[in-house]
Amino acid sequence: MSEMVGKLFGWVNSRLPIANTFERHLSKHPVPSKVNFWYLFGALASVVLIIQIVSGIWLIMPYSNTEEEAFSSIEYIMRDVDYGWVIRYMHTTGASMFFAVVYLHMFRGLLYGSYQKPKELVWIFGCAIYLAMMAEGFLGYVLPYGQMSYWGAQVIISLFGAIPYIGESLELWVRGDYYISGITVSRFFALHVVALPLVLIALVFLHLVALHEVGAGNPEGVDIEEYLDDDGVPLDSVPFFPYKVLNALVGIGVFMTVFAIIMFFFPEGGGYFIEMANFEEANPLVTPEHIAPVWYYSPYYAMLRAVPDKLGGLIVMGSAVAILFVVPWLDRSKVASIRYKGIYSKIALAFFGISFLTLGYLGTVGVTEVRKTMSVICTVIYFAFFLLMPFYTKYEKTKEVPKRL
Amino acid sequence: MSIKNNFKKGLNIRNLIIFSTFIFCTNNISAAEGGPCKDYGECDEFKYSLNDMASLQRGASTFLNYCYGCHSLQYSRWGRVATDLQIPEELFFENLVFDKSIKPGDLMTGSMSKEKSAQWFGVAPPDLTLVSRVRGDDWIYSYLRAYYEDSSKQYGVNNLVYPGTAMPNVLVALQGNQKLVCKDIPVIANNGGEKRDELGNTITKEKCGYLKVEESSGELTKDEFDELIYDLTNFLVYVGEPAKATRERMGWYVIFYFLIFTALSALLYREYHKDYH
Repeated sequence: MSEMVGKLFGWVNSRLPIANTFERHLSKHPVPSKVNFWYLFGALASVVLIIQIVSGIWLIMPYSNTEEEAFSSIEYIMRDVDYGWVIRYMHTTGASMFFAVVYLHMFRGLLYGSYQKPKELVWIFGCAIYLAMMAEGFLGYVLPYGQMSYWGAQVIISLFGAIPYIGESLELWVRGDYYISGITVSRFFALHVVALPLVLIALVFLHLVALHEVGAGNPEGVDIEEYLDDDGVPLDSVPFFPYKVLNALVGIGVFMTVFAIIMFFFPEGGGYFIEMANFEEANPLVTPEHIAPVWYYSPYYAMLRAVPDKLGGLIVMGSAVAILFVVPWLDRSKVASIRYKGIYSKIALAFFGISFLTLGYLGTVGVTEVRKTMSVICTVIYFAFFLLMPFYTKYEKTKEVPKRL
Repeated sequence: MSIKNNFKKGLNIRNLIIFSTFIFCTNNISAAEGGPCKDYGECDEFKYSLNDMASLQRGASTFLNYCYGCHSLQYSRWGRVATDLQIPEELFFENLVFDKSIKPGDLMTGSMSKEKSAQWFGVAPPDLTLVSRVRGDDWIYSYLRAYYEDSSKQYGVNNLVYPGTAMPNVLVALQGNQKLVCKDIPVIANNGGEKRDELGNTITKEKCGYLKVEESSGELTKDEFDELIYDLTNFLVYVGEPAKATRERMGWYVIFYFLIFTALSALLYREYHKDYH
C-alpha cells in the first residue's frame, strides 16, 4: 500500500514540483529566528482573506443582486437561511478585521523599514493589495442596499464627477445609470465577487513570491544573509515550517478569539462595522442625517472633507494612498528599524500615527469648525511625514545595527 | 524569546502615549454631539432580556394588538415568532393572528395598504422589523414614553424624542394624559452643592419640559406602563434579529474553543521553540 502511494507520489512529483515547492517555500525556507508580534499580521491577513472568500461564496448562494430584492435577501439570510447570520457576520466582521490587520501590517512596515532595498516590490504589491481591498470593501458595502450603501455610493461615485472633462461621463459609466439603481448593484456584485477577488488573489500571490525571493525582515533590521552556515543557510534563521507556522498558529488563536468576541457579541461594532442606518432600505428620496463611511475609510474621508474644493479633495485623497507606493525611495536612512533610527524618525512616526487615528475619528463624525481645522492639521502632518522623510531620515544620527540577530 | 516577551517589546511606552493622546483628543471633541433623543435629553437606557419568554410574549401581544394594525414586520414570519417565543402554534394563531387565512410560513406583511395609509397619515407607517437596529432599543424605549399633549398638533400630541412625529399616541388609553409641566428645582452653586439663602432654605428656580401623567387618567400606573413598553421594546429587539439570543449563547462556546486552541498551539510552539533556543 505505502509502496503504491510512494510510487504515485513519485509519478506526480516528476511532473509537478510538489516536494520541491514544499521545501523551497516551507520546510527549508529560512525566516529570521527572532521577530516580535508585529510580524504576525501578514499571516493573519491571509487567514482573513480565506474567511472572506469562503463566507463570501456561501453568501452569494442566497443573495439576490436586484434592486427589489437585494435588501430583503440580506434579511432572508439573517432569518430564514440556516446559520445564515453566522456566515453574514463572519463576512462583515471579516471585512473590518481585514482592514485592522492590514493597517497594523502596514504600520509594521513603517516601523521596521520593511520596504527598504531589496523589498521594494514586496511593499509595492502590498500597497496594490491595500488599494484593491479599498475598492473591494466599497463595492461590498453597496450590496446590502441599505441607506448607507446607497448614500455612501452616491458620495464616492460623485467624486468621479469632479475629474475635469471626462468626469461626468466616467460617473455615468461607473454607475451604469443616471442614478444609483439595480444596474449599479448588479455590476458592483460582479466586480465584488469575481473581478476584484481575482485581482486580490493574484496580488497576494505576487506579494508572497516577491517576499520569498528576498526573504522576510526582522525588527532589528539585521541582514541575516550575511552570516551563513556551511550549507548556505543563514545562521540566524529557522525553517518556516514548522517553526514559524506554529508561531503564527498562536497568533491565529488569539486573533480568532478576538474575531469571535466581535462576531458573536458586537457584530455591528457599535455602528462602526455595520452602520445603523444601513438597516434601513435604500431610499433615494431621504438623505440620512450624516453620511459617514465605515471606519476603515474614515481617515481619507476626513481628508476629503478638509479640502473645500471637490477636485482638490479627490486629489488629496488619491495622493494620500499613492504616496505609500514611493515610500521605499523616500526613506534615505542607513538603517531599517525604528530601533536604530534617530529621534526625528521616531517623532515623525508618532505624529503620523496620531494624525492618522485622529483623521479616522474625524471622518466618522459630523463637521464643525474645530474639527475641520483639526482635519487640515492632521492632513498636513500625514503628508509631511512622507514628504519630509528624505530629509529627516538622511540627516539624523542613527545607532549602530548589530551584526547578528 | 517567548511570545510574552514579544508582546512586551511591542507594547512599549511610545505606543501607549500615542494611544492615550488619541483617546484624549477624541473624548474632547465628541462632547459637542447632540443626542439621538432630541428634546428628551439622554435616552433612557434599555437592557434587553431575550431569554425572558414571558416578557417577549407580552411584547408580541402588545405589538399585535396595538401596533400591527398599521406597522408590518415584513421580514419576519408568523410561525418563527410563535416558535422562538415558545407560544404553542395553535394558541398563537387563535389569539394573536386575526386573519384566518394566514399560514405559519407567511411573512408578517401587515394589514393596511401603503398607498391608503400614506393618504391618511401623510406618510405610510414604516415597517418595524428592523426599527430596533436602525434607531436602537434605548431610542424606542424612550420614544414610546415621551408623548405629551400638544393641541397645536394634528392628533393633539407631540413627542420629546421625535418632535413632530406623525404617529398618534396609540397607547394613550393605557398611559393616560401626559403633559409637559414645570418644576421648581434647586439651583446648583458653583461648588456643586445646592444653593441656599441666609436662612438655609434651598433656592429654587422654575424649569419646564418635564413629563407628567395626569393622575388616574390611564388604565395603567406609571410603573405598569413602563413595563409594558419594556416588553414591547424587548419584542422589537427580538424581531430585529431573531438569532440574537442564539448568537450570544453560541458565542461562548466558540470563544472557549479558540481559547483551548490558543493554549494548545502555545504549548506546541513552546516545545518546538526549544529546538533553536
